[in-house]
Amino acid sequence: MLSRLVLTSNPVLLLLLSLVQASRSFHQSSQSLAPVPPLPEKGGKVRHGIFPEELFTLLYPKTGVTGPYMLGTGLLLYMLSKEIYVINHETFAAASIGAVVIYGIKKFGPSVAAFADKLNEDKVAKAQEVKDQAMASLAQGIEDEKKEQWRVEGRHMLFDAKRNNVAMLLETNYRERLHMVTNEVKKRLDYQVQLQNLHRRMEQEHLVNWVEQSVIKSITPQQEKESIAKCIADLKVLAKNTQARATV
Amino acid sequence: MRNDAAFGRMSREMAGRRAAIKAIDWVAFAERVPPNQRAMFNSLKTRSDSVAAKLASLPEKPAPINWTYYRSVVAKAGMVDEFEKKFAELTVPEPVDTQTAKIDAQEQEANKTAAAYLEASKAHIAEYEKALEKFRNMIPFDQMTIEDLNNTFPETKLDKAKHPYWPHKPIADL
Repeated sequence: MLSRLVLTSNPVLLLLLSLVQASRSFHQSSQSLAPVPPLPEKGGKVRHGIFPEELFTLLYPKTGVTGPYMLGTGLLLYMLSKEIYVINHETFAAASIGAVVIYGIKKFGPSVAAFADKLNEDKVAKAQEVKDQAMASLAQGIEDEKKEQWRVEGRHMLFDAKRNNVAMLLETNYRERLHMVTNEVKKRLDYQVQLQNLHRRMEQEHLVNWVEQSVIKSITPQQEKESIAKCIADLKVLAKNTQARATV
Repeated sequence: MRNDAAFGRMSREMAGRRAAIKAIDWVAFAERVPPNQRAMFNSLKTRSDSVAAKLASLPEKPAPINWTYYRSVVAKAGMVDEFEKKFAELTVPEPVDTQTAKIDAQEQEANKTAAAYLEASKAHIAEYEKALEKFRNMIPFDQMTIEDLNNTFPETKLDKAKHPYWPHKPIADL
């Protein structure tokens, strides 16, 4: 009964088998190896959709190329002639269903397989992307940490700058003090010099004024009259001389 | 003669006191400043530049006083000599440095915090390295089984005890 179930070709089973042929996950060994070796890309080769290639290679040395076909034909004829398999209505039903199923699988099998593969690949690609992003962000994190460490190494520059500022301010202050001292001393000396000059000038002016005043005062009225008379006499003499010259 | 002696002494004093003014490489300094402290750095730089400019504008020694001229002009007998003597003896006190000690203390503190920060930073780097190693030693996804996936990424493991029925996670998480 079980064989009948298999021979009447359960369509679901055929579907699974063809899908299996198209996809690639088909464990061939039951040993547990660690690490698990990568799975084979394609399933075992089959001829005519059902018969594994190993049967043909097995029979080839003894019977050549036509061996398995003769075996198959012989088996089929044996079962038909001995009526181990009885031809009845269901035979035609099986044949029709088989034809339709095989046509469907041949036409749509590859595209369905591609679709299923694509689903799986999308999952793997997403996981790979997540992994890549995680690795990139970790590497970036390490780079950033190293950069921050490098930055911290430069902290002495800040304190050098501060100490420099302090030193410069002190130096400026010191120089200002020096300048102030010199300027003050100079100012005092210049003041003395100016004071002396002022004194001298005032003395000069005063003396000049005093001499003028005394001269003016010393001109007595007596002298004034005498000088005026002398001037008049001189003028008369001059007039006479010029008159004389003019007539001559 | 007396001028030179006076100024010789003063310059010797200056050489002994001069605190080392290091040349600071502002470009290298600017590189190390993180972006969130750039404003502080800029203000520090402008202040330093203004202080340096002020220092540069002052000549190092004041112009020497021409004693001979004053001696010839000023009539008062001992005045110029007295001034000269007092001036030569005068020592200007240097300004007292109150801040350098504080700056050194700040530097020590900064060194301590920097050491702590470096430790934390190294710990972070070790963590990142560990995670990176795990990622690098992972088997490629297309050779993984669901068990391997659950072992590598524990968050993908379906909790069959909490959600016994398929899909073993809240419907909203699908």
